[in-house]
Amino acid sequence: MSSTLSLKTEFIKGIWKENPVMASLLGLCPTLAVTNAANNGLAMGLATTFVLLSSSLMISALRNLIPHQVRIAGYIVIIATFVTVADRFLAAYFPSISASLGPYIPLIVVNCLILGRQEAFSSRNGIGRSLLDSLGMGIGFIFVLVVLGIIREILGSGSIFGFAILGDWFTPWMVMILPPGAFLTLGILIALANWYNDPSRAKERRAVS
Amino acid sequence: MSKMSLSTRMILVLTLITVLSGGILAGWDTITKPKIAFHRQEALKAAIGDVLPAHDTYSSEETEFGTIYIATRDSSDQPVGVAFMAMGSGFQGELRIMVGLSPEMTQLTGIKVLEQIETPGLGTKIVVDPSNKKDPYWFPAQFRGVHVSPELVVVKNAKPTQNNEVQGITGATISSKAVTDILNNQIANIKTVWTSRGGPES
Amino acid sequence: MTEENLSQALPEQPETPKKPVKPKKEPRAKLYKPETPLILASSPHFHTRDTVPRIMWNVIAALVPATVLALVYFQWAAVGIILTSVSSALIAEMLVNRVKGESFTIPDGSALITGLLLALTLPPSFSLDGTALGSVFAIVVGKHFFGGLGYNIFNPALLGRAFLQASFPVPMTTWTWPLTARYVEVDGVTAATPLGLFKFEGVTSELSGLITGNISGSLGETSAIAIAIGGIYLLIRKYADWRIPLSFLMSTFLVSGAFWLISPESYPSPVFQLFSGGLMLGAFFMATDMVTCPVTARGAWIFGAGAGFILVIIRLFGGLPEGVMYSILLMNAFTPLINRYTRPKFFGEVRA
Repeated sequence: MSSTLSLKTEFIKGIWKENPVMASLLGLCPTLAVTNAANNGLAMGLATTFVLLSSSLMISALRNLIPHQVRIAGYIVIIATFVTVADRFLAAYFPSISASLGPYIPLIVVNCLILGRQEAFSSRNGIGRSLLDSLGMGIGFIFVLVVLGIIREILGSGSIFGFAILGDWFTPWMVMILPPGAFLTLGILIALANWYNDPSRAKERRAVS
Repeated sequence: MSKMSLSTRMILVLTLITVLSGGILAGWDTITKPKIAFHRQEALKAAIGDVLPAHDTYSSEETEFGTIYIATRDSSDQPVGVAFMAMGSGFQGELRIMVGLSPEMTQLTGIKVLEQIETPGLGTKIVVDPSNKKDPYWFPAQFRGVHVSPELVVVKNAKPTQNNEVQGITGATISSKAVTDILNNQIANIKTVWTSRGGPES
Repeated sequence: MTEENLSQALPEQPETPKKPVKPKKEPRAKLYKPETPLILASSPHFHTRDTVPRIMWNVIAALVPATVLALVYFQWAAVGIILTSVSSALIAEMLVNRVKGESFTIPDGSALITGLLLALTLPPSFSLDGTALGSVFAIVVGKHFFGGLGYNIFNPALLGRAFLQASFPVPMTTWTWPLTARYVEVDGVTAATPLGLFKFEGVTSELSGLITGNISGSLGETSAIAIAIGGIYLLIRKYADWRIPLSFLMSTFLVSGAFWLISPESYPSPVFQLFSGGLMLGAFFMATDMVTCPVTARGAWIFGAGAGFILVIIRLFGGLPEGVMYSILLMNAFTPLINRYTRPKFFGEVRA
């Protein structure tokens, strides 16, 4: 069952082709909830990637040991451990980020992206391959969260990473920092990505070039 | 391995995983616990400092309506103010407000909204109002010095005329009202605690 | 015919050149353009003079009284908002047509209606760039993201307004008196709408103002009478289903009447509810949007009754003073479901 792709493809696939948010629509809860500012998106992406990497490391190492029947229970305990580690880390060293992300850090434990990668990949592949896969997926996740955060922060607050870039003439679109703004922006981003990936257009591109 | 029955193996592996997880968490906790406690303490101190007049130390006291913090100066035994938390529902979710009262229980010395999930741009003006460039903190600031008897009152679209009135936020009447309701309620509670305790003299 | 036969039947193809040639990029719309379009539809086939443009231009005609009154009451403010809204709707429509590579749909008038309806629901003091944004959102997201005219689930103009309401909550709820209102000394002083006055101050307004429209409110929604004239024209010409405004207004009247009977001090009278806010404009022009309301007669009754019920609940118990927009949008979302459950029986169908 183990993957036969080249190591490079294993790493790259999560960033665009199998991007957890854009292609698989996984982990939408944090994607929609915390991306009202680029900083929050980045912090959430990094925390999720940390959990993903460490759980993949542990699960791929233990994969031959864990009996099939209790694997989900085992995975969840491992994931929850690292989520708690990340949560405590933020609370101890970055209290302001921890305060602004609120309950969403503990909620990483139910992010389907993480359990999904363990079930689909780390439990069937070696440590190195699993780490590459997780790193790619994590970077893809961070990428989407930061892009969403940047768009929503510019339109919703007139700033980017906390620095005001639009002058007084700009009236922030309040909707962008509210949940509907998250749905709208994500929907438009996915539509654009699908349009770009559209096989008929890809053929057109090849024909032209 | 193969000789072990499946159930023994399941129990063993899960035990191993939980022990491992417990170990990681216990170790991590000893490292981070003092830091987290320190940040909590700092945040509390900052909030109390924001709502009470200048003081040197404060002591905390448990009451049936939550902890109250009594601030004093080194030069005198008389408290300069009493701070406490007030909680209640706002427009969308719970509001947690740190409140400072004068030791005579007559005037507010300040309030600070610590937690809220009001509508951004409207209800959030109870914390900060970015549309008011000159004075973004006008809403919480106007509570300083307001009289609490008979109770706090919100006035709309007008400047307050009585000493127990505050100006409401245009478009966020419910949030403004929620703040004063929560304050009125908890102030009444703390007043009873404070009088039963013997007042400012004790 | 086998493939071989087919290729023989066709005129001989010119030999393909060895070198790959860049295929000429042709806009999709030009690939096939029959002189009379072939329309495939299931029975029954009616022959009618009604076409999309014909219906749309009649709706525009019906909006004339409300628009004229908006211009009279709010003057230059109304001119600016209406022109901005309509022109940005038209430009957005044109651009989307270009991007989608379809023929221009401006002459069908639907973009014009969306722009005009949106303008009529905006407060007179609203900013022009905000107006343009709402109009573009209505056309691009509200209509074309769903597939264009006929495929949109929600009324585009209301969706544009909902977007503006969520984006700029303060300007969207800041009202000015009409310039013609006599009892005002200062131009453009802010004033609560009759509904806002009732909700937050407990003051009811006089009925005469509500009917003639000489009150604060959105551009085109202040005068019940001007809207009703246009609306009734639409009903007579059968371009709108009379059941929808009737059931919408009736249900608003009955539900608010029930509350009023229970406690006349705390709830406004049903007559006030009928004539205040955007109810008339919504009931006659937005709820009746052919694309987004149920097609069956029974469905139309359910649609109007549900909208009226939601409206009264929002007005009496919600955080906002007005709820016409949300009540119609919510019922728009229910429309496919209503259509499914009110589908007439097939001839001879036996209920399972």
